[in-house]
Amino acid sequence: MEDELDEELRSHLEFQTRKHLAAGLDPKEAQRRSRVEFGAVELTKEECRDERRVNVIDNFIQDVRYAMRVLRRDPMLALTAMLTLAICIGANTTVFSLVNSIILRPLSYPQSERLYWVSERMGKDQLELSHAPDYYSLREQNKVFEDVAAYDPSTVNWTSAEKAEQLDSAQVAPSFFNVLSSQPLMGRYLARAEEGPKASPVVVLSYSFWRSRMGSDPNIVGKSITLDSLQRTVIGVMPQGFDYPKGTQVWVPLPFDDASQRPRLISRPMWIVNMVARLRPNISQQQLDTDLDRMAIAIRREYPKEFTAVGFLDSMNILARPLRRQMQGDLRPALLVLSGAVALVLLIACANLANLLLARATARERELAVRMALGSGRARIVRQVLTESLALAVPGGLAGILMAALAIAYLNASKPFVLQSYPPISLDISTLTFTFTLTFVTGLVFGIAPAFAAAGISIQDALKSASHMQSGGKRATTLRHVLVVAELGLSLVLLIGAGLLARSFIALARTDLGFSAQNLLTLRVNLVNSRYATVESRAQFYDDLLGRILRLPMVQRAAVATDIPLSGERHWGNLRFQVVGRSPLPLAQRPTADTTVVSGDFFRTLGIPLRNGRTFDEQDSTKAADSIVINEAFAKKILPGEDPIGRYISSRKGSPDWRIVGVVGTIRSSDLGADPPPLIYRCTCQGNSFLSRMGIFVKTTGDARQAVRAIEEEVSATDRNTPVFDVKTMEDRLNDSLASQEFQLVLIGTFASIAIILAAVGVYGVMSYLVTLRTREIGIRVAMGARLEHVLRLVLGESFALTGVAIAAGLFGAWALSRYLKSLLYGVTALDGFTFAIMPLGLAGIAIAASLVPALRASRIDPITALREE
Amino acid sequence: MTSQSRLDLLQGTLDLLILRTLQTGPMHGWAISERIQQISREVLRVNQGSLYPALHRLEHQGWIKAEWGISELGRRARFYQLTASGRKQLEVETDNWARLADAIGRVLEEA
Repeated sequence: MEDELDEELRSHLEFQTRKHLAAGLDPKEAQRRSRVEFGAVELTKEECRDERRVNVIDNFIQDVRYAMRVLRRDPMLALTAMLTLAICIGANTTVFSLVNSIILRPLSYPQSERLYWVSERMGKDQLELSHAPDYYSLREQNKVFEDVAAYDPSTVNWTSAEKAEQLDSAQVAPSFFNVLSSQPLMGRYLARAEEGPKASPVVVLSYSFWRSRMGSDPNIVGKSITLDSLQRTVIGVMPQGFDYPKGTQVWVPLPFDDASQRPRLISRPMWIVNMVARLRPNISQQQLDTDLDRMAIAIRREYPKEFTAVGFLDSMNILARPLRRQMQGDLRPALLVLSGAVALVLLIACANLANLLLARATARERELAVRMALGSGRARIVRQVLTESLALAVPGGLAGILMAALAIAYLNASKPFVLQSYPPISLDISTLTFTFTLTFVTGLVFGIAPAFAAAGISIQDALKSASHMQSGGKRATTLRHVLVVAELGLSLVLLIGAGLLARSFIALARTDLGFSAQNLLTLRVNLVNSRYATVESRAQFYDDLLGRILRLPMVQRAAVATDIPLSGERHWGNLRFQVVGRSPLPLAQRPTADTTVVSGDFFRTLGIPLRNGRTFDEQDSTKAADSIVINEAFAKKILPGEDPIGRYISSRKGSPDWRIVGVVGTIRSSDLGADPPPLIYRCTCQGNSFLSRMGIFVKTTGDARQAVRAIEEEVSATDRNTPVFDVKTMEDRLNDSLASQEFQLVLIGTFASIAIILAAVGVYGVMSYLVTLRTREIGIRVAMGARLEHVLRLVLGESFALTGVAIAAGLFGAWALSRYLKSLLYGVTALDGFTFAIMPLGLAGIAIAASLVPALRASRIDPITALREE
Repeated sequence: MTSQSRLDLLQGTLDLLILRTLQTGPMHGWAISERIQQISREVLRVNQGSLYPALHRLEHQGWIKAEWGISELGRRARFYQLTASGRKQLEVETDNWARLADAIGRVLEEA
């Protein structure tokens, strides 16, 4: 290239020299003259190079420099824009990293996209539970899975020389590790035949258990540990990251096998299991569904009697859900709503920034017109304005990443309850890619309107100075109005969302528990030692323990029960029964109720009011074991309008009928948000099946937390091999139940606040601009005798009009999006009238407040100055 | 050839003249300047310092393209020729020029 240029110029000199020679000059003179005529060769070369170097990169650098200069000229605007962007991009990055860590990132197992959670689903409640016999049928007869594994999460009591501890464990089929395709870190995992009632006592340890409890013992394989008072030989340790089901510390073989479970017999206890499966490669969703439907039909045909007996025949089907989806659980819908909300905030920010830049573009019209007159093409101007918006977006985006990093660090450190069952949130490559893309797209989006407004400038108009204010252009003004309406409308959508969540949070927090959570400590123990083989021995343990606890100074009352309300763990059985004295019903149509076993003082310990009859007392003993107490929900649903006291119910042929002796208030027994079902209380004093695993309730005089230590010591004194676990005050459990609602509310509330602030700034900006634009007009009006309220009305009227349109659009948007919010709401409909009425009023209030300052400024316009300004 | 007879050309005008000159066929830089000089009867002199940057600019814009060839005098030289878009550009600029000249002429006559 360089040589060519050189050669070209040299050829020119030669031609010129020859011309002079032909004219009769001597060679020396001819050469000299052509050199002189040519002038500075190097300069010409430089200029030629310049003409070529006018390329994209050069233009870009020039644009960036220019943009920096422009931004420096208006630092307040630059700062506002960058701050807005930092907050919005930071919020988006944070939410995306949540979504990425919890929803998008694949599980850490090989080809994890082929892992599925498989379950039978039955009954009118679409209950997802699988039966062990059907697991064996499915495993044997399916055509789509490489392998299927049953597992059953539970807890075991680990006793070592120093202490006893409750561990999260899972009983698993030998195929379990194969399905997840993981190799042990050391040793081996379960062999093919290692399941069933006679399975060898072996155990596989998790990495974290091996490290924290076994001191990373490299020779652990072959040693034994005591789980539920059974010596088990350690056969292997799984690698770090193998964590399924989440939090499992030890895996042991299933206590049943094919032979002990099939054929499915109603007379034989069936194990309820979970199933995980690995899909064969290249199996479509449709093939999967078809095969599962075929399997469901085959199983129903194989055991027609069993399915008819419980009334599930027609409704049992089998579903497979990607394992990742299954593990995301409840957070998925909330995260999707949050993503939507935070994207709306970013849109609002874009509208806001577009507005700010538009205002400036108008002010810069003459500058741009001059540049165009000097030969800058429209495309070049568009590019330059876009470069300016990118120059704002990029630093804003970087600051946003920083903010997100801080927010993520905070989330990981404080670990809100909702995130506790998920891996830590991280700012990884895909999040950064997302953020950079977002930053650029944002820069382009908020830059496009000003860029085209700038390119649309008419050179002649802009250069004519007389019209400089009016030439802002109707188009740009309309655009600004559209933008501010969009901002207000989107804010209203967010406000309504936040309002609905706030309403459901309040409804949930105000839920009448039916009992008093104050100063109530709850904990669990699990009796697994061979000492507690009989019901009597367990009863003895609890009697001793309650006696000891009651002697503690700050303890008022104490009780045991099979279940702890709001703990998310259920032991009670669901019972089908008949009301004695009514005509008998077939099994499938009989009423159902939950049953739970409590000690005599349970109702008083929890402060559950007695509505009718009596609670358990001295009359109830192992010899008079037929008394039950029911909750009000039972009385209302099953015996409406009747006096329940003295009525009998029967559950099974051969066993004695139960007599209702009392009705107590309904409590929120399982989920805070779920309607409490009919419940039957039975008494431990009647020798009823004391489970090995029981909840203990202690009512204290002061802060229940202070009693924890003393109570743990009493349990240890009763039996040092029985550990206490799941120790929480009832108030903590209540807070945990509210945690996910609170989490959503706080986040959406924050987003809505940012949105409304941005919208207010937007309204303020547009109204100020309007006032500036109409200074002269207003001046004339004032000169003609317009009064203060006229001027105010002029400005506020405009604001009212914009807000009105925005409210209509926002209400429509909120209505259209309401169904996505439905699953997050409690005690309030997605189209709650109150919220839909109050939020637009709030929005209107804020919009009017934001236009008040410009309106007042307009009212103070001095007609003389205003007219002179032109 | 004297300095009084020399007229400085506006940038856009030089481009127009180059394009027009090349309409007759491919030509190297020196020949272009000679031809402009000849046809304008020595009134318009093209300074080499503007000619070559202009040629490179026009080439960069795709209105003309360059090829190495051998001149009538046997010397290797860079020959320029019009492209299709250059031809269109020439029409546009000729038209613009005519209107401008017409306008200026009218002002000079009537004002």
